[in-house]
Amino acid sequence: MRVGSPRENYLGLRGWVWAGRYDIERYLYSLHRITGLGLVLYLFMHLTVMAIVRGILGEGSYDDVIDFFEHPVFKVGEYAVFAAFVYHGLNGLRLIFQELGFLLGKPKPPIYPFRDSLRRRRPLTLGMMGFVVVLAAFVLTDFAKGGP
Amino acid sequence: MRDTYLWLLQLVTGAIIAVFLAVHMVMMHLDNIVGFFGGHISEPSSWSSMIDRAKEGWWLTFYIIFLALVLYHAIYGLRGIVLEVIPSGRTERVMTGMIWAVGLGAFALGVYASAHLFTR
Repeated sequence: MRVGSPRENYLGLRGWVWAGRYDIERYLYSLHRITGLGLVLYLFMHLTVMAIVRGILGEGSYDDVIDFFEHPVFKVGEYAVFAAFVYHGLNGLRLIFQELGFLLGKPKPPIYPFRDSLRRRRPLTLGMMGFVVVLAAFVLTDFAKGGP
Repeated sequence: MRDTYLWLLQLVTGAIIAVFLAVHMVMMHLDNIVGFFGGHISEPSSWSSMIDRAKEGWWLTFYIIFLALVLYHAIYGLRGIVLEVIPSGRTERVMTGMIWAVGLGAFALGVYASAHLFTR
């Protein structure tokens, strides 16, 4: 692995929290990371618990575990996982569009003020974030009613 | 060059996971909303409902593909973060070893549990 040295402008973990007065995309990136790490953590817990309890321990233990996770604290946690998925998924879709150059629009003559690709896609970004909020609120109505 | 393909695979798995995970989440959690649109989901997390699904070939295939995609996406994502925070050739070698061990271990566990329930 080639590492440029010294790594200029490298903010490290501190940069995930605050990197200065950057645009919204810089902070969406932080949130993408944090939700990503949270989802990885949940994935491995979910996988281990489900595989061991279902496949190895069997019905009695499974019912006990499901009862245990009925507690409101875990319901809130499950909603947090759902919301993280909605955010990570839709923001990820935006990143795919952004990075592969979709929805770039027609080329225009470079007349001041110039618009960079990030700013050109700003409506997509804001639209996606609006969609995240709407979807998360919509899903909340189901979680609030209780049930599985 | 190789890393570019790994990254492209991250995008592709990400897009497919969005669909697979949406199916999984809607089925497991959104019973009220599905009910509103005329569908019917009853107690998806109960043992009997879980066993019914575990014995369907379609669901078995769905979940094994899903597991492989999710493990790739999760572990590649984690690798990127770790290599950014601690960049060195040594980190990369250690990460590669861990990826194979953890990834294959988790995949084997998932497939073992699914196969066990399927044939039970």
